[in-house]
Amino acid sequence: MMKNYETDDTFLGRWIAGELSEEELVAFKETEAYKQFIIINNESQLLDGPDIDTEKALKTVKQRIGQKHLKPKTIKLWQAISVAAILIIAMNLLLNSSKTYTNGIGESQIIVLEDGSEINLNANSSLSLKRFFWSNDKTVNLEGEAYFTINKGDDFKVETAKGTIKVLGTEFNVKDRSYFEVKCFEGRVEFIPNNDSSSSRILTKGKQVIIKDTKIEDLIFKEEFPSWTKGISKFDEKPMYLVLEELTQYFDINFESTNININRLYSGSFNHIDLDLALKATLVPMGINYRKSKTENTFILSE
Amino acid sequence: MPEKEPSICEEKVYNELFRKYYEPVTKYIYYKCGNLHQAEDIVQNVFIKIWKLCATIIFSKAKSYIYTASNNAFLNEIEHKKVILKHKKTIEKHTDYESPDFKIEMEEFRVKLKDAINSLSPKEKEVFLLSRVEDKTYKEIAEITGLTVKAIERRMSKALKELRETLGKHIKV
Repeated sequence: MMKNYETDDTFLGRWIAGELSEEELVAFKETEAYKQFIIINNESQLLDGPDIDTEKALKTVKQRIGQKHLKPKTIKLWQAISVAAILIIAMNLLLNSSKTYTNGIGESQIIVLEDGSEINLNANSSLSLKRFFWSNDKTVNLEGEAYFTINKGDDFKVETAKGTIKVLGTEFNVKDRSYFEVKCFEGRVEFIPNNDSSSSRILTKGKQVIIKDTKIEDLIFKEEFPSWTKGISKFDEKPMYLVLEELTQYFDINFESTNININRLYSGSFNHIDLDLALKATLVPMGINYRKSKTENTFILSE
Repeated sequence: MPEKEPSICEEKVYNELFRKYYEPVTKYIYYKCGNLHQAEDIVQNVFIKIWKLCATIIFSKAKSYIYTASNNAFLNEIEHKKVILKHKKTIEKHTDYESPDFKIEMEEFRVKLKDAINSLSPKEKEVFLLSRVEDKTYKEIAEITGLTVKAIERRMSKALKELRETLGKHIKV
């Protein structure tokens, strides 16, 4: 009798796929050949093909493609974004770039702005303003001390670490050193403290505001112009440490002041031209002895 | 709404295709030509072509493209060599059907099995290896080779019959 697997040309194929009917399978198992097919099938399934290193092949293919063809669109998009970003940053830097005037110790200069306003920048101070489109937003940043003569008409702002001074055609002095001081010599200015804009105040001629520590005080003064603009520093019952600090603004010196009481009050003045005279004018009346140390420009003070 | 197909021009997508299909296609070509170096060359060339044509090949059609193009490239080359098959490392465990009256040593039988598979006609060998060694279903083989499932069943049947004719005398049960 002919067996199924000999007559049916899909029989063994269907057996491998597990698609024989129950009857077919039972009959197939009866045959002598069945066990041989089982062994052939099982042993064949234990065989393995070649080992293939996909990652190595991928590397080879990419080398053959060549670097310039690779890394297409996505990278190009990134490059475009980078270039655009750099341009934007550069434009921003350029447009927001500022011009800075700096005075060393004992130096002063008068800066005339494009609207004709004048700023007399005192020693050891710096002033910066935007290089472009400054007229649209007349703001200057001040560190140190300066005397402003502002033309009438536009808003003008002076920003400091302690607060902003807003003005309309006026003359005023701003001093931001150990202590902060705004003096109005003509017209009106508004002072807006940085940490408390609600306590802003308007100063008219002869009014001044000072900040000691964080306390704001309103005072009046008599002089017609800041004395420093004439080469003189004047003090009216100010503590010695402010006087010493003021001296270091005009002369390249330091003080060793641990042996004196720096809180004693001083009234008087010194001029900015002669160090000897300045020291005599400030230290002698207070009974302070001073001698120069051998190495540096340091004066050792004692009482 | 149909989902947008990923672009093969994106390196990430391309790498994914490569990692998924390089090995099975290379083995498929190897089973036809018996020369691993030649098979790898053929498939690598196909993948280079895919990169160049990346904009024109649809992602979902890539698999069939890779198989067809590799097969076509193979048909253009003449050299057919013996397929070298190894044994899986797990082979030792599979001994449940072994009986004492087994006429030849298992090792000897395995060598003969490999020879017998190699002497199958190329059409039968290809289907047999894809099914038994690569564990592919007839449906998958149909997809790869372009044959019908019925034709594959016939080729498998014929292959098994031939293997038994060659090896049967060594298996007395």
